[in-house]
Amino acid sequence: MIPRWITTAYLLYLVAPIALLFVGSFGDLWLNTLLPTGTTFKWYKEVAADPSFRRAFSASLFVAVMTCVSCVAIGLPLAYAVFRARNPRVRALARVLYQLPVALPALVLAFGFILVFSSDTLPWLGSVWLLIAGHIVLGLPYFLQTVVSDMQRLGLRVLEEAADSLGSNGLQRFLHIVLPALRHSVLSGLIIVAALSIGEFQFSNLISGFLNRTYPVVLLQAFYGATGFACAATVILLALALTATVTGALSARGADRLPSFGAPA
Amino acid sequence: MSAAASVRLENATFRYAGGAAGIFDATFDIAPGELIVCIGPSGSGKTTLLKLIAGFLRLDSGRVYLGGEDVSAATVRSRECGIVFQSYALFPHMTVWENVAYPLRVRNIPLAERGPRAAAMLDMVGLSGYRDRLPAELSGGQQQRVALARALVFKPRALLLDEPLSALDAATRVTMRDEIRRIQKQNNVASLLITHDQDEALSLADRIAVLRDGRLVQVATPQEIYDRPVDAFVANFVGRANLIDGIAAGADAVDTPLGRLATLPHGAVNGASIRLLVRPERVEPSAAAGGENVFAAQIVHDRFFGANREIELTVGQGSIKIETAMRGGIAHVRVPREAVQFLPTH
Repeated sequence: MIPRWITTAYLLYLVAPIALLFVGSFGDLWLNTLLPTGTTFKWYKEVAADPSFRRAFSASLFVAVMTCVSCVAIGLPLAYAVFRARNPRVRALARVLYQLPVALPALVLAFGFILVFSSDTLPWLGSVWLLIAGHIVLGLPYFLQTVVSDMQRLGLRVLEEAADSLGSNGLQRFLHIVLPALRHSVLSGLIIVAALSIGEFQFSNLISGFLNRTYPVVLLQAFYGATGFACAATVILLALALTATVTGALSARGADRLPSFGAPA
Repeated sequence: MSAAASVRLENATFRYAGGAAGIFDATFDIAPGELIVCIGPSGSGKTTLLKLIAGFLRLDSGRVYLGGEDVSAATVRSRECGIVFQSYALFPHMTVWENVAYPLRVRNIPLAERGPRAAAMLDMVGLSGYRDRLPAELSGGQQQRVALARALVFKPRALLLDEPLSALDAATRVTMRDEIRRIQKQNNVASLLITHDQDEALSLADRIAVLRDGRLVQVATPQEIYDRPVDAFVANFVGRANLIDGIAAGADAVDTPLGRLATLPHGAVNGASIRLLVRPERVEPSAAAGGENVFAAQIVHDRFFGANREIELTVGQGSIKIETAMRGGIAHVRVPREAVQFLPTH
């Protein structure tokens, strides 16, 4: 009985703020009352009409997509190299190294970026690519962790040896065996990376230029205005993050049902 | 040393970097359709031997021939060995059919031909009804069959099986043992099977290769290995054995801890040390005292296995293991003169 109580209380505590945001975004007037009065869609319309929010929305999407693409492009070969390293000490060291950014506060990373990239030799502060570069640093450890553990779980090395002995060349092994076998972990790694990138505030707030501020950075401004507007803007961020997660999960399930190559009918 | 050997190793030597382990001066061949079972304790180099034939490791010196062709420097891919891995290594994202057809696919064999060939192979291993399943949906024995079908579908030059039965439960293991033998014979492919299980070796092999510390100790038929092991190691590793050290006492007698044993003529000079082998099932329990090589004995251990009992007895200053179907008490044992074999003492 008591565990159930605690669970219920915790769930309420977890859901209530988000539920209130949702309610607030449709509320007409919300001053010193527990719940807002009146219902309206005007806040969403206002957010949608606001040029800085529109810009931030597409900036966030662009940054998230580019971060995901780069994580695959950099992370997959890197994960493979770590996994295939012959020396177990090299493997252990590599794991510690690529996990380091997890322990590093995003704020510290941002200060480092400011120091390096505000100089005359590397004057890139404010560019969207620098923002993406930072998001890659923050997201890559999670991507690598997911993919490397999956490689070990699958016994990828033996699978490749098997494919080798069955007559496939290096490219065929990669396309037929490595990629399809890893598709689940690549996708779940990307879900984490996308969610991280979309919700990231600390680093983006300091690094993004005025014209490519991401959604969470602009969202902060909303809380200086009307409550309903702020709620609506936050709900949109939530929807954005959820869409990324659900899309990832669905495509992972979809990929499962696709035949990997032509079986005769 | 037939010229028609499908697999031939010549003075094969390989040493792991920074260690004493490896394979040293191994020479043997596998005839077409022959099944050689390689047996040895863990760390003796069984899997290394397989990897050297498959091409995952390259010889330091010596030669590997497959179908008469020197493949010592060839890649894994071009050696065309069908391998059944200990973990089966089925591709988890492919169906049974796709797994089996994979070697044909990478050989660019047209889909119209792939279908029937893979289907025929699945039929041979008894999995026709499972073509659209994923490996995760199969039992261990079924996965084993898929692995076997996949390794044979492209008509490999040799079939290499790395402890294929070790992951199976006892009942499935016996069935699969017979299945592997049947399918291997049907495909008439030169095969090497690695195991540490002597029952598997004795029941499956055309010939057994016993490996110890990277060296081939004996390569011979199961009967020969069992009846005429070259040394104490082989005698002890394949089958159960009584190894008795003694000293020659006359042309056909040896003084042992059991007492004086009458033997066949052993050819050693008086006083020379001799190592004797007596298989437990050759020792006869005897009710009465008296007669050649009959000793008073006391039971130390008595294990009952249904058809047989394995009994350990003290005899004189030593002990002896016997295997018998006889029930009831045992006060004497008889060691028939012909049951005593001589082994080198080194």
